[in-house]
Amino acid sequence: MSTAKSSPALQGASPLASALLTPIAGTLHEVGSLVLFLKLILRTALTTSGNTPAVLEQILSICQRSLATVTFAGTFVGAIIVLQFNAVLLVYDAQIFLGGLNTSAIVREIGPLMITFILAGKIGAFTAAELGTMRVTEQIDAVECLGTNPVQYLVLPRFLGIVISSLILLALGIMISMVGSTFVATVLCGMNPLQYMSTITRFVGGWTLFCGAAKSFVYGVIVGGVACHKGYTARGGARGVGTAVTQAALYMSLFVILANYFTSNALNWIYDFLAAALGWVNG
Amino acid sequence: MSIRFENLSKSFGPKTVLKNVSFEVATGEILFILGKSGMGKSVTLKHIVGVMKPDEGRVFVDGRDVTQLDDNGLADVRRKCGMVFQHPALLDSLSVYQNVSFGLRTPQYIRSLPRPLTEEQIRAKVTETLRLVNLGTDIFDRYPPEISYGMQKRVSLARTLAPGPTYLLFDEPTTGLDPITTNAVNDLIYELSRKLKVTSVVVSHDMQCALKIADRVLVLDNAGILALQTVPEIKRSREPLIRDFLQETLALLPPEERAELEANA
Repeated sequence: MSTAKSSPALQGASPLASALLTPIAGTLHEVGSLVLFLKLILRTALTTSGNTPAVLEQILSICQRSLATVTFAGTFVGAIIVLQFNAVLLVYDAQIFLGGLNTSAIVREIGPLMITFILAGKIGAFTAAELGTMRVTEQIDAVECLGTNPVQYLVLPRFLGIVISSLILLALGIMISMVGSTFVATVLCGMNPLQYMSTITRFVGGWTLFCGAAKSFVYGVIVGGVACHKGYTARGGARGVGTAVTQAALYMSLFVILANYFTSNALNWIYDFLAAALGWVNG
Repeated sequence: MSIRFENLSKSFGPKTVLKNVSFEVATGEILFILGKSGMGKSVTLKHIVGVMKPDEGRVFVDGRDVTQLDDNGLADVRRKCGMVFQHPALLDSLSVYQNVSFGLRTPQYIRSLPRPLTEEQIRAKVTETLRLVNLGTDIFDRYPPEISYGMQKRVSLARTLAPGPTYLLFDEPTTGLDPITTNAVNDLIYELSRKLKVTSVVVSHDMQCALKIADRVLVLDNAGILALQTVPEIKRSREPLIRDFLQETLALLPPEERAELEANA
């Protein structure tokens, strides 16, 4: 956000206005830079030959590195949500809906967010640091000088790897959290596993799965975009790489939360529209 | 065919690093660019390969204006210019063999050949290039962090030489090296420039090295050119900055050269 401090538009503003506007201007500046960088990635993807082995290598590496964390988080997040929903549903004598509500919440909201924050903390920070180090040690300049497009060779595989992995890890995380939640519902909440699962299909349909996948895709684009952008534009030695990683962590979280609000609203609006047009009853 | 700068200006924020800089590098010569830190030496070099864009002015390589080229045109110019960076800038995830052969697998290089090189031909070329920088094939499978900094610099040089550039651009090639390796790298630059008959531009702080191997020396100061002279002219220069640079090297020079410089001073 420091870039906005020197913004000519804010010079001459009162200290209070400046204190309020500087973070907003800084965030908008970051959004603008990210959009331009994503445009560069898209243009590179459309105009250059793909590097499928490098993308597959990234996906494999990301999934391998995140598997243990996703398993651990997925199991416990599923279990925690079951306990919370169960306490409320028991009050209304509606424990039968526990499986459906729990799975819907995980697929629609908690799963994509959980996977994204794991990806941001583990892979996003790593990618920003890796590309940042490559930038400050002139590896990116060297690749460019050897006649290779660094966005095509270094950024695109990492970006696509993060986006595709976020979808794979989401599917994995949902399945693991369902195992964890079914176990807790059976052992601690006294439900029969079949009874627990009986309402899942009433709450989770194709639209719910689409919502989860769409959110995960958008968050993956944000994590991949911010991590690659911050690393690729890092400047000034070890301190510059440190700054890039810190800023990447900050903006990945901030933008994902903002995107969550907007994608939730947009998906609800699209659902209402389609429901009215096609006569859908539930998702 | 040569490299030519015309009225090049470049600023970073409020700081003007280069202002109306014009000079030409003749074919086959070794030009040293000297100056204090932050005087735009590396910036000058990066303009040749289009890694940086000037605020004003033009840079010509083989008669083509680098500042106006599209991505394909730039890639073509970069294929002719081999750049050795201040850091070894080797890709950590690739082995020495993969690093040196990197430039031989780029589309621009492949397009310049009648047919792509086979893996055996690439291997032979990498072996030959590593031999030029006094390294053997025993380090083929090692990764950059597993070899010494001096070796990394040599591998970096080999990677630059492998595609057979017409121009060699060195950005402080001896920074961070011990005196023995520094001398070895300087000798290497001279030998390679002469043996391969390429035009070389070397950015450095090292006046001793400039006196030893340069054909001409360009001194940058206060965003402009302070001097562009041959080595004998530089030795006779009365410019205080140049005298300071010469003074630094006195102790390292052979007695007869030291006496000559002291007489000029």
